[in-house]
Amino acid sequence: MTDYKALEKQIQDQARQWLESGEVKYVIGFEKGDNSPVCRPVFIYKPEDAGKLAWGPLCNNNLTKYLVEEVQIKPKKGEEPDLRPVGIVVKPCDSKTIVELMKENIVPRERVKIIGVISEGTINPKALDKALKDVPLDKIAGIQILDGGDNFTIKYDGEPLSVPKDELLNGKCKVCVVHNPVVYDIFVGDKVTQIDKDEFEDIADLEAMSDEERYEYWKEQLSKCIRCYACRDTCPLCYCEECVFDRTKPYNWNEKTVDLPENFFYHMVRAMHLAGRCVDCGGCERVCPMDIPIRKLNRFLLKRAKERFKVVPGINVEDKAMFGDYDIDDPGEGIK
Amino acid sequence: MEDEGGAKESWEPKIIGFFCNWCSYAGADLAGTSRIQYPTTIRIIKVMCSGRVNPQFVLKAFQEGADGVLVSGCHPGDCHYIEGNYHARRKLTLMEDLLEFTGVDPSRFQMSWVSASEGQKFAEVVTEFTERIKKLGPQTKLSGGEG
Repeated sequence: MTDYKALEKQIQDQARQWLESGEVKYVIGFEKGDNSPVCRPVFIYKPEDAGKLAWGPLCNNNLTKYLVEEVQIKPKKGEEPDLRPVGIVVKPCDSKTIVELMKENIVPRERVKIIGVISEGTINPKALDKALKDVPLDKIAGIQILDGGDNFTIKYDGEPLSVPKDELLNGKCKVCVVHNPVVYDIFVGDKVTQIDKDEFEDIADLEAMSDEERYEYWKEQLSKCIRCYACRDTCPLCYCEECVFDRTKPYNWNEKTVDLPENFFYHMVRAMHLAGRCVDCGGCERVCPMDIPIRKLNRFLLKRAKERFKVVPGINVEDKAMFGDYDIDDPGEGIK
Repeated sequence: MEDEGGAKESWEPKIIGFFCNWCSYAGADLAGTSRIQYPTTIRIIKVMCSGRVNPQFVLKAFQEGADGVLVSGCHPGDCHYIEGNYHARRKLTLMEDLLEFTGVDPSRFQMSWVSASEGQKFAEVVTEFTERIKKLGPQTKLSGGEG
């Protein structure tokens, strides 16, 4: 059980302290949304604003994307760059992203001060909408969510609702095995004991299908794609300054037409680019307007990378990158 | 296709081969100069190393209508660039897995190690691969076309 209010207080105090001492340039965190219980990203520059920082199961964004943008900014001519670290509030999955970013030499460790918060799962806003269908619209923004062990208690000025966690949690949280931040300067919360479970149970049914059934499944899913590239834009590990899908010269790899072969190409290439790097923060699925299960592609490659090459991303900065390394004894069955 | 009205037997698969400059391309060359017979279904693209083959190349080839893709490089340990083929092996086996997961028949993709002296092996690999693709028929899943 997580006491969100206590965690929130700790985050605010830490951010205030860092901002007062000038140790950090600013703090990236979450604040409460205006007309919605869902939290949104906020950038805190002044110590007196630290009270805005919020914490709860509706802090869904992976804020490390802003970190990548921060370190990629080039200083203007004649200007001294401000190289002070940036404070950031991270969930365990986001902290895994930071490990990957450090591994790939994108974010230097000294440029970031991490407030690592434990998390036992975040709520899918779409599922929350469904659970709140009986709550009057004007009350929704003011609801309070408490962790009750196996269920969430939703408090508003009517009768409190109790909803089982399974109904509300994000898909990624249901299969997640890392509930404590991997890298942090300040650890917020009490260490959660690790649960041992099959972390790839959610793709087992797809793997059990025949090739034809799987193709039909992906055909149905990928034909929905409108190629808004939101999945790419939100992904903290898609940091290329020029994406291959934006480039038209010297060769236009992917037509802008939205049709099935192009969509297949886009999603397969993106999955390959994230193979052995994706930490399953669930950002792509969260922003997808067409509800395509993009994570499944990434998770499948995650599974195979683990089985074949013993690569598990986002755990240790010292690990070698998946495609930057090789083993002479890598499996190569089927090669003639 | 050119022969749309033709009988099914007249259909010839299109196979794209990515061959490394140092071993496999020389091996294919040897097959040619030794007058070893091999199917004309293969179109070879020379790359400097099998490690140069981005999975994207293979997927693009399928998307543009290739019925099969063959990637060939030096035997492990023999790479001209010491380790290029090891990198190729990692990338492309994982891509083969992805083909399987998306329901595209992974047997349309083949990797092989062919050295500069293995003209005979090159011919065998291409013949066998062509036979397999002929059985599978035209590839439409990633190209979206009718063959």
